[in-house]
Amino acid sequence: MATSQDLPPKGGYDAIQWKRNLPSRGFRPSIYLGIMGAISLFGFWRLSVAMHMAREEKREKTWARIHLLPVLQAEADRDAVRRYYSTLEREKAIMKDHPDWADGKPVYHDGRMHLPSFVFLEDTKSAR
Amino acid sequence: MTTSKTNPREPHSLPYYITDPTPLPSHIPSVPEIGATSAPLLSASYFIGARCAPYSEDFMLCRSQSRTGEMDCLKEGRRVTRCAISVLEDINKNCQNEFRKHWGCLENENHDLSRCRLDEAPLNACVAKFLSLTKVIPDSDGTPINDYETPSYFQKKVKAKYEQ
Repeated sequence: MATSQDLPPKGGYDAIQWKRNLPSRGFRPSIYLGIMGAISLFGFWRLSVAMHMAREEKREKTWARIHLLPVLQAEADRDAVRRYYSTLEREKAIMKDHPDWADGKPVYHDGRMHLPSFVFLEDTKSAR
Repeated sequence: MTTSKTNPREPHSLPYYITDPTPLPSHIPSVPEIGATSAPLLSASYFIGARCAPYSEDFMLCRSQSRTGEMDCLKEGRRVTRCAISVLEDINKNCQNEFRKHWGCLENENHDLSRCRLDEAPLNACVAKFLSLTKVIPDSDGTPINDYETPSYFQKKVKAKYEQ
């Protein structure tokens, strides 16, 4: 009788894995530490290059300002002297009838010219 | 109404600036002011420094040694201003397009010189050719900041492009 039966395969089944299979993989830890150290060293080197370049850029900026300083200072000095003479004239006009007033007499006794310490604005309250 | 019990004062701010328009007295000789704004001045600063170094040093020495720096050093200050005016006039006569490109770039980049190297290179070349003024950073240790397109270290050099 030619019936088919559910028989095991010829040669039998494969062996069943019943033991644990945990292979230890990867490099030894010192190699991983070496890779991390190399990346860190590379980062530190890049950082030092960037710091040197930042210092040189700061130097460039500072020297640009140093070269411009006398030009701007001369302009400010002329403005200060102009306002000083303007203050003298204003004081002369205000105090021209005062008996004890000496035109341009300094308040300080050290012989230096002092820039005016007060700025007189126009009267805004009476306009309102 | 912006006043209240706790703030009884009306705020008032003026719609105009208060200036003192009195001119310089006539015994002081007048000199034309430079009139340039900050970006062109920054762009031309190294050339002003190269040409006006003796006058600037004279002025600062006079200022540090004098009793009243503003009054005693007006003459040296006039010399400095005239020298700076001459530099700016020469740059505008010979290299106006490169100059305007460079300080236009500075205006857009927060006056960051390292971001405008591409526009700085032709300006430096043109000024070196026509005015024989070179940009020199004193006490520099040689770290190259001038040869690259951007501040990053690993960009291609552009110096070769502009050397003609």
